[in-house]
Amino acid sequence: MASNSTLVRGGAMPAVAAPAYSTRLPALFNSGLYQSTLGALVSNKTTRMVLLAAVPIVWIVMMHIGPIYQMLKISLLSNYPIQHGRAPTFTFANYAIFFSEPLYFMPLIRSFVYATSATAVTLLVVYPVAYYVAKIVQPDRRSKALLLLLVPFWAGELIGTFSIIMLLANRGALNVFLRDIGMIDRPIPLLYTPFSLGFGLVYLISLYMLLPLYSAIDKIPKHLLDAAADLGAGPFTRFRRIVLPLSRDGIVSGCSLVFLTSIGVFATPMLLGGPTTVLFPETISGFFHGASDKWPVGAAFAMIMLVSALTTAAIFMRIVGGKSTRLM
Amino acid sequence: MTKLVLNRRNTLQLLGGSAGALALPYIIRPLPSWAQSSVLNVTTYDKFLPQEFLDKFQKDSGIKVNVRLTDDQGKQYNLLAAEGANPSTDMVTVAGHRYSQFISSNLLQALDTGKIPNWKNLNPAYQNAPWAKVDGKLWGLPILAGYEGLAVNTNYVKDPQSWDVMFDPQFKGLTSYIVSDFMTITMQYLGFDGDFVSYTDKPEEALKATNAARDHLIKHKDMVRKYYDAGSEVQQMFINEDIYLGHAWSGPAAKLIADGHPIKLSVPKEGTYGFCYTLNVVNNAPNAENAYKLLDAILATPEVGASMQRQSGFASTISGVPEVLTDIERAAGTLPQEQVERIVFFSPVNRDMKNEMIDKATAEVKAA
Repeated sequence: MASNSTLVRGGAMPAVAAPAYSTRLPALFNSGLYQSTLGALVSNKTTRMVLLAAVPIVWIVMMHIGPIYQMLKISLLSNYPIQHGRAPTFTFANYAIFFSEPLYFMPLIRSFVYATSATAVTLLVVYPVAYYVAKIVQPDRRSKALLLLLVPFWAGELIGTFSIIMLLANRGALNVFLRDIGMIDRPIPLLYTPFSLGFGLVYLISLYMLLPLYSAIDKIPKHLLDAAADLGAGPFTRFRRIVLPLSRDGIVSGCSLVFLTSIGVFATPMLLGGPTTVLFPETISGFFHGASDKWPVGAAFAMIMLVSALTTAAIFMRIVGGKSTRLM
Repeated sequence: MTKLVLNRRNTLQLLGGSAGALALPYIIRPLPSWAQSSVLNVTTYDKFLPQEFLDKFQKDSGIKVNVRLTDDQGKQYNLLAAEGANPSTDMVTVAGHRYSQFISSNLLQALDTGKIPNWKNLNPAYQNAPWAKVDGKLWGLPILAGYEGLAVNTNYVKDPQSWDVMFDPQFKGLTSYIVSDFMTITMQYLGFDGDFVSYTDKPEEALKATNAARDHLIKHKDMVRKYYDAGSEVQQMFINEDIYLGHAWSGPAAKLIADGHPIKLSVPKEGTYGFCYTLNVVNNAPNAENAYKLLDAILATPEVGASMQRQSGFASTISGVPEVLTDIERAAGTLPQEQVERIVFFSPVNRDMKNEMIDKATAEVKAA
């Protein structure tokens, strides 16, 4: 066994000095201060688990629950930002505004319609792609295929949105192409319409559908499909009876992610939407950006959207998903 | 898969690593402005402060200027109000007619022109303008002036004389505007007071006028291609020919004209509203002295004003700027005299009522 201070092999090798920490760490661990404080805590397995769990819990509380709590708090104040001489009072009036003004229902309903439609279309578009990569592409090429599909998402939401503007504008690539081949005389108004918004949403959020679906389909054993084929099941029957049920977890996860992402999306509808596609996040932002003192109303509306979106996703997961994907 | 064994050593390693990761944002954050003596934090609009001017100012003064962009007075007010007595910015860019809101919330400090040796270089028309004074004090340095104009693509729209053209069915789906701004113009177009000055203590009358404009815009919603927020958006729509006409601030429209696009900007016969942007020192600004140095540097030479006008399209308030501009640049920002006379500057009077009613009506138009 090597001594504490040097490591010598076969006598031929020169002596190498051991790193300082190799002597200091044992000294630290054996010190009375360590033994009575941190050492005592980490010597127990349960305490170790609690200590390790504390870090992610602190992260979640600070970065996720904290802002939502702050938003909830603001939503219950009479005025915010707090100004000199105007002490805020506790009130539910900000929530009452939503239920007393029918005009605010429309953007919320519109948001749900767009999010639901985008989720359904994304599933229909992405499912065959995920299936192709997971089952048709040779295993040694799957990583490359997946990488190719992910490349457009490296550019980010805003770059992707502006590229769609350049594609769909009156003088964009698509209209110019159609005009050059003589199909149209005047540009087709594609941008700032429900179509451009839907197109943009599906394009920008398809990643959230692709990865869960790919993961679920990839896990389906190939011998099940081979056995079904041997027993005479056609492609559609194999898909309906084997692939679809076994990829259900991926469908539920992907749909939930896409729905929750698309219902809260803000920049894309602002840049691609038109006058008839104003969604609820834009309505909410109006309260924060406007000149009036309306942050509490915006916060209340944000809480309403959060609760209604989570409830919808939870109901969807309960109905469609298995036990493993249930939220409530 | 290898099972993770939680012994003392790797528990400590994980804890140390996680704590380090959590602390990273704090460790790598920039020093707060109050901790630096040669820094100036400015909140302003895109293209208001030319980069070459900032570079020279930084080189000459040794003061590092951090620019934070804004695109709306309301956003700027809300952010500043949220920071309260500990602002993270030293200067903001307030339109003159919004002074009362910022001042009543104690967000600005009165301007001490004695600390600006080059104050004399400000166009005399702006040195003591009535709108620039509240409680007998000046609150900011006027830098750029503009108005709410009617911009048209001259290839498709011929010399409109009235805001009527914005509701002409032949341009269905080819117009655009900022809802809150165009609401005031629509009120004026319909014969009401779009600036609410005459509605002080008459909320019912103001509401009736606002609702009339709101209903008119909702009725003609099919005329609109897009509601926009920033000047760059309307520029983009004109360039792509997504719209043929629209309400536009004079700055972005004049910039398009100066760049050679077939755009014409005018003030229709019903009139419009003008405004002036000012640079203001924030109350409790950590680097107020540096802010005064920047204000003085802006006024040092007309070249700075000309550069600001070239970039933003808005008219400079600094004396001698027109002489420095080219003919095309001057023409882009020039109106016939009869149209100039149709511009009324926004008033700071009754702003709270106006903000309240216009914001609500804007939400209603968008939601409809």
